[in-house]
Amino acid sequence: MNLSKVFTKAIITSPERQQEADADFTIVKQVQAGDVAAFDKLILKYRERLFGVVYNLTANREDASDLTQDAFIKAFQSINRFQGSCSFFTWLYKIALNTTLSHLRKNRLRTFFSLEKLNEEGADAQVLEQLTEKKGADRDTYLKELQEKLNEALQKLSIPHRTVITLFEIDGLSHSEIAQVVGCSEGTVRSRLHYAKQFLQGEMGNYLSS
Amino acid sequence: MPDSHHPSKVTIEDLLRLKKSERPSADFWSNFERELRQKQLSALVGKRAWWHDLPHYFPRRVYLPISAAAVFTFTLISVSRYNAVQVERSQAAVASTAVATFTNTSVPDGKSAVGLDSAPVSSPLVNRADPKVSANAERSTTIAAVRTTAEAQPEPSAKSDALEEDSPSARSIAANFARLEQSDPELISSVLGSRLSSRAKVQSSPTPVLELASLQMNGGRRTRLVASYNDHHFNTDTNASDAVREKLARRLEDHDFNDHFSRVGLNGDKVSLRF
Repeated sequence: MNLSKVFTKAIITSPERQQEADADFTIVKQVQAGDVAAFDKLILKYRERLFGVVYNLTANREDASDLTQDAFIKAFQSINRFQGSCSFFTWLYKIALNTTLSHLRKNRLRTFFSLEKLNEEGADAQVLEQLTEKKGADRDTYLKELQEKLNEALQKLSIPHRTVITLFEIDGLSHSEIAQVVGCSEGTVRSRLHYAKQFLQGEMGNYLSS
Repeated sequence: MPDSHHPSKVTIEDLLRLKKSERPSADFWSNFERELRQKQLSALVGKRAWWHDLPHYFPRRVYLPISAAAVFTFTLISVSRYNAVQVERSQAAVASTAVATFTNTSVPDGKSAVGLDSAPVSSPLVNRADPKVSANAERSTTIAAVRTTAEAQPEPSAKSDALEEDSPSARSIAANFARLEQSDPELISSVLGSRLSSRAKVQSSPTPVLELASLQMNGGRRTRLVASYNDHHFNTDTNASDAVREKLARRLEDHDFNDHFSRVGLNGDKVSLRF
């Protein structure tokens, strides 16, 4: 086991994540050896997660689609420089995040929502029940309004705060993984997370039960 | 509409988890895959510019030292080149000053710089027959013959020689001075002071009568006077003193000629002027 793998193991504490990282590294080795088709496995594995992060940062499905594709292309072009000093998904997230942040900075003044339809099958049924009880026929309208308000509130956050809360609450990354992806300390991640939640609670107060 | 009377608690984390359910349909992913395949193929075929890969060869921590070194080198080269240009300019300025000084002051007495190779600048008042006058005339036209006089110099410094030979501007200045002296000697005398102009006036004293006629006249009155002067073949009486002729030549040379004589008279073959 080389030094980079030891370093990666030190960062990735969860055994599932470690197995996942090892499997990814094996595929990356295949791609580096010239098996270009092996990269498709990585695309299929990570495309939804990557799209979800980019979509929640941009609140625009077309932009998110383009940016996710760009991130995969950049990763494919730079795959030979990946040495395994971090897990592949962290490396891929870094690329996607940098591409998205660059896009957001370029289009700072242009905010256009293009939201995906809320899939109720995948949502937490209990939360939906709590939110929509006594609403009757207005349920769909209420959910759509809630979705728009939530995306608006997220877009009011600064990019670093939005990034942290998206990666933690929506994508489910740990503090250390976020710190590695974003490139800051865990303390900074916690601080940003706390501030972002406070801000969102203030914005979404009417929809939250006390 | 928001309802503030929910029986159970809904937190911001619950709301954010709802966003996980914002997922695209299967059609979206088929379209996504097709577009990604096209981009991947074009990325394989197309070649990236070399500068896109440049940042990957240098670690991020060396950016600042490399940039600082580049700025320092650029500044160093700029300053050194600027200094070189300044030195050249100052040398050229010193050279032109030295040439001008040399042409005004360095002609020795008694040395006849013969064989002028520049434009003919002889004054019409110069008597070429007289060797003394000829030597003095050469002094007045030395400006035009910087190179020749420099060669005739017994002790000119090597530096001055080199400057005169190497500096076309010096020759051009001298030629301009000569041309100016030929066309407007008054201006030259006022510019160069009394040294050259006074000598030229002294030289003009034995000017022959015929050369006086070649003076450029300005004004109809002067033209008529000269015409009369030529028609009557001005008296070349040998008894006329040199002083009178000098005086006459000086008067005729003067730009204020028309203002200084009050009466012109013809008496037989003589012209009389009253100033």
